[in-house]
Amino acid sequence: MSVESVWLGPMRRPMRLIMLSSTVATGLIALWLILGRLFFGTGIGLKEFLSPADTPSVLLAMIVGAIALLSASIYLSDTCGVVESKSDGFFDVVSLVCSRLAMIATVTVVLVMFYEVVSRYLFGKPTLWANELSLWIAGFVFLLAGLYAMQQRSHIRIYIIYDMMPRWLRKLSDVLSLLLIGSFAFLTVWGGFNESRDKFFRWETFGTAWDPPIPATIKPAILIIVVLVALQALSNLIADWNKEPEHHSAANDIDASEIEAIRKIVKD
Amino acid sequence: MDIGSISLILLLALFVLLAMGMPLGFASGTLACAVLAMKFGPDLLFRDFGRGPLAVVGQAVYRQMTNYVLISVPLFIFMAALLERSGIAKAMYASLNVWLSRTRGGIAIVTSIMAVIMAAMSGIIGGEVVLLGLIALPQMLRLGYNQNLAIGTICASGSLGTMIPPSIVLIFFGLITETSIKSLFTAAFLPGFMLASFFLIYIIIRTQLRPEEAPLPEPDPNDPQPLEKSILFGAFTTIMIMGATALLLLRALIFTAIGAYVVAEDTDPIALGMVAALPYLIGILVAGALLLRFVIGPDRVRLAWQMGKGLVAPIIVIGVVLGSIYGGITGITEAAAMGVVAVFVISLVRGEMTFEVLRDSLIRTMKATGTIIWVTVGAAALAAAYTLVGGPTFVANLIVGAELPTMGVILVMMLIFLVMGMFMDWVGIVLLIMPVFMPIVMALPIEELGFVGGIDPKYVAIWFGVVFTMNMQVSFLSPPFGPAAFYLKSVAPPYISLTDIFRGFMPFIGIQLLALLVLLMWPSLVSVFL
Repeated sequence: MSVESVWLGPMRRPMRLIMLSSTVATGLIALWLILGRLFFGTGIGLKEFLSPADTPSVLLAMIVGAIALLSASIYLSDTCGVVESKSDGFFDVVSLVCSRLAMIATVTVVLVMFYEVVSRYLFGKPTLWANELSLWIAGFVFLLAGLYAMQQRSHIRIYIIYDMMPRWLRKLSDVLSLLLIGSFAFLTVWGGFNESRDKFFRWETFGTAWDPPIPATIKPAILIIVVLVALQALSNLIADWNKEPEHHSAANDIDASEIEAIRKIVKD
Repeated sequence: MDIGSISLILLLALFVLLAMGMPLGFASGTLACAVLAMKFGPDLLFRDFGRGPLAVVGQAVYRQMTNYVLISVPLFIFMAALLERSGIAKAMYASLNVWLSRTRGGIAIVTSIMAVIMAAMSGIIGGEVVLLGLIALPQMLRLGYNQNLAIGTICASGSLGTMIPPSIVLIFFGLITETSIKSLFTAAFLPGFMLASFFLIYIIIRTQLRPEEAPLPEPDPNDPQPLEKSILFGAFTTIMIMGATALLLLRALIFTAIGAYVVAEDTDPIALGMVAALPYLIGILVAGALLLRFVIGPDRVRLAWQMGKGLVAPIIVIGVVLGSIYGGITGITEAAAMGVVAVFVISLVRGEMTFEVLRDSLIRTMKATGTIIWVTVGAAALAAAYTLVGGPTFVANLIVGAELPTMGVILVMMLIFLVMGMFMDWVGIVLLIMPVFMPIVMALPIEELGFVGGIDPKYVAIWFGVVFTMNMQVSFLSPPFGPAAFYLKSVAPPYISLTDIFRGFMPFIGIQLLALLVLLMWPSLVSVFL
């Protein structure tokens, strides 16, 4: 099946290869670690993942896992979903890769919670890490989803007056909006930079049983992603500058192709 | 600058920014910074890079990012997206329709019931209206139903997702006002069903008075007679009860196996999960089996199963989500995750799950999550900044100083909700208005709330949340921008115009306002199950 490549072009096949091999490798290492813990008493658990430098096998697992995650996000971002608007801004690639990362993360959250519920309820052995892990992952999902929503132009706006404006006034509003989004990003960084930097360098942890470094990672991530969102807004403005104006309504939320897909299911 | 002028400028600036089409979340985020600048002056803000009052913004964002309950939002959206692309709704329609095909107004009744079941499964509104519009609207129009009745039924019932738990609107209300979400769900149950039954009563009365608005389909010679149908329905109910009992039995056995049956001093015994309950559970199973085998007969049982099996999947999904919450197994967030898994497995079993479906659902989830969460982020920043400069106290004093009667204040709030609801999404209203309104409501004299029966002070916040969702019901239908109309328009035949759709809504908006009135007059309605 040949699918139109969005941006990778000839790199598509190698990327697929990297994704598959690193995913398999991650799976094998994970299996080895789990079996080692269960049958050989290596004592390597999720706790060790928080300080990977101490255990070589954990460090290896994390490096290979990161490669798998990144290559999968890059590879998956190369196909445009039917319900997705096309990408044409200079910054879209970054947002698309991030969105795929967030999608994989969402599935991971579901699986982590499912594991937790099963092990607590069926086996009476609640995990120590599931809550914090899902909280940690979800923090990134929330942030990255906002970046993606910006790229897809799906942030909530009120179009009643905007749609009545003449073209030049709309463009003026768009520029003004962009400036304000930019200044919001700037001010957020202005107010929060020291705190984020300190927490990151102190590697501040959450203070719970498993103790993941949630403040140390999420705090800086907020500032970085707010800036990325502002960049994406700039990219949108440039990409949409000469586009025909469209009329907006709540019907824009529902994609025609999506309705077609639902219709097909409902018909048969 | 004093708080009065800051509030006024804030209000005006918000209008201007929204009018020029700035994304809501970023508009409120920017205004949060502006409020701080007005209060502290630029020299204090910009004296040192990296710290100062502006740190409030980043901290407000961080609080939302590490909010465990908020994780349920993407998960519920994910679940709804998967549901839309599965054939579960279609199968459910077929099953419900079999039982009610000979009743006057049957399809409209089926639509309403189906909407309630779908609302109990997910609680996201747009998809429900689209699905009902695709499944039920063509059937009703083909049979010659009155167009207004058909449209109104679909959209009004399709909006019930906000009231019937799990509801994403209530989740947000609970987060903003720090009210127990589980209590909100419990409290909204009765008013939600009250509204749904108002719809049903209206449909039945209207179609009885004017039978020409809801013609009956041609009788199918293979269709069982009414009496036979009742027996079949009894058989199906018995199967369902036996299924539920078998699950409880399994649960009790698991508890026994893992030793959770040991009664601790400070915990209640698990309902129906104790060893003592085993004989009863087994007894019900045996009685059911005997009834099916000797009284009803295997042939009828098979037929009943064929007719009703479309209802099994929705019941399982509801059981997993609401059962997890109310069975004390999990919190809201994990229940949403369990719901995702349940819908995924059911689609997989039905052979409808593909990689494309999964990817499209995830794309939709990400878009909707980013949209909702970033409005939350912006509004949280604005609320934090506004609280820091003393805004809520100022507004509360303003309202209290106006010396309106208690119910007058509530009515003014209702009016504001209804008018805002015409133009704005519920997310914006709950995030921007609630932090201001809630302290006012809590400060009102409790004994003057409602006319029939008072309300317990600890339930006031919950009552107001339910009242708010009832308002949002109206906002889904109210012209000129009621989202339900646009959702239906996108799937309705082209000759049905937006004006036609809004005309069909009118009686249903009346019913919603009636339900709202009942809830205002009789606040203790929400605390029946609490």
